[in-house]
Amino acid sequence: MNSLSTQSEKVQVLHELLAAATHEASASMSRWTNGLINLSLDEVRELPLDEVVADLDLDDRLLTMVVLSLEGLLGGAMILTFDEQNARLLAAALLNQPVNQQPEWTDLEKSALTETGNILACAYMSALSRLIGEDLIPTAPYFLQDYGASVLQQALLPQAMSGDQILVCRTGFHRHGENLNWRVLFVPNHNLREAMEKAIRTAV
Amino acid sequence: MNALATEEEIQTATVGMGQIVAARKPARLSSVLGSCVGVAIYHPRLGVGGLAHVVLPHANGRSDNPGKFADTAVPALIQELSKLGVPLAGLVAKIAGGACMFQMRGPLQIGDANIEAVRQALAKANIRLAAQHVGGTAGRRIVFDCADGTLRVEIAGRHVETV
Repeated sequence: MNSLSTQSEKVQVLHELLAAATHEASASMSRWTNGLINLSLDEVRELPLDEVVADLDLDDRLLTMVVLSLEGLLGGAMILTFDEQNARLLAAALLNQPVNQQPEWTDLEKSALTETGNILACAYMSALSRLIGEDLIPTAPYFLQDYGASVLQQALLPQAMSGDQILVCRTGFHRHGENLNWRVLFVPNHNLREAMEKAIRTAV
Repeated sequence: MNALATEEEIQTATVGMGQIVAARKPARLSSVLGSCVGVAIYHPRLGVGGLAHVVLPHANGRSDNPGKFADTAVPALIQELSKLGVPLAGLVAKIAGGACMFQMRGPLQIGDANIEAVRQALAKANIRLAAQHVGGTAGRRIVFDCADGTLRVEIAGRHVETV
């Protein structure tokens, strides 16, 4: 078995693995939005725990989010984040109706967003499952409006328990080549990260 | 990494995950909290205080990042305050955070354990807990004012309280 000698090599090959999963998630997202939206994996890197929230520019901004977690030994969390305007636009486009101007979200709008998270997460986890040879089952998604930093904190816990360096995968969304202010944050726990690294070592 | 802030350097300093910042009035210290707990310890008469952003309950022997764990953050914050000439006697604490941000059960739910571990660490250090704004299911933005010891707590998009 070949070994990956440096941390930067590990992160580089993790990038390849996650790019393959992102590619499948992008295809699913494109089908779900009638070709409107696709994704790209922009960056995979490690950051100190105390810098992650600021680096992702989450801080104290209120965001609309769809949250899913992976349960079991190979765990983690996936968070789809939007600002209010982009979330409203997506819901309106999916429901083929005008943008809701009311402050409260309707159940139908929430459902459109959570289904988006579900499609994205299932495609991503399905691809990742195949690549690492282990089943990854996301929980049902749910809709949340809160500080992005508060939600990210809790998602980071599984990695924070085992160290001070956090693996960050930054994914961009695009509409006809234009960047959208959406993000998906995938935070694997320690076991899942090890499983990914093991899959990479086997493949090298 | 811990930081020692002075009023010349900051007016409102952000305290990130696992960080500890101590400062003199008129400085203010701010954090955004989910399941993490913000621990503010201050000396009301001297106008000196500090904020620790606690991520997990117990260090279990780890000493590399004391601000990250409740049981090491409280003594480390007291030490930072002592560097600013603050005696242990007369210190008072206020805490906020420890929410359960995710609806699902499982190991990610650590807010309650963080709150309990912070309370135990404060009791062990003989520091009176003067006020708390903890638990629930929503994030908080807090601003601690070293001048008067007030802790402003803003619940995500809803309301503001001062404790």
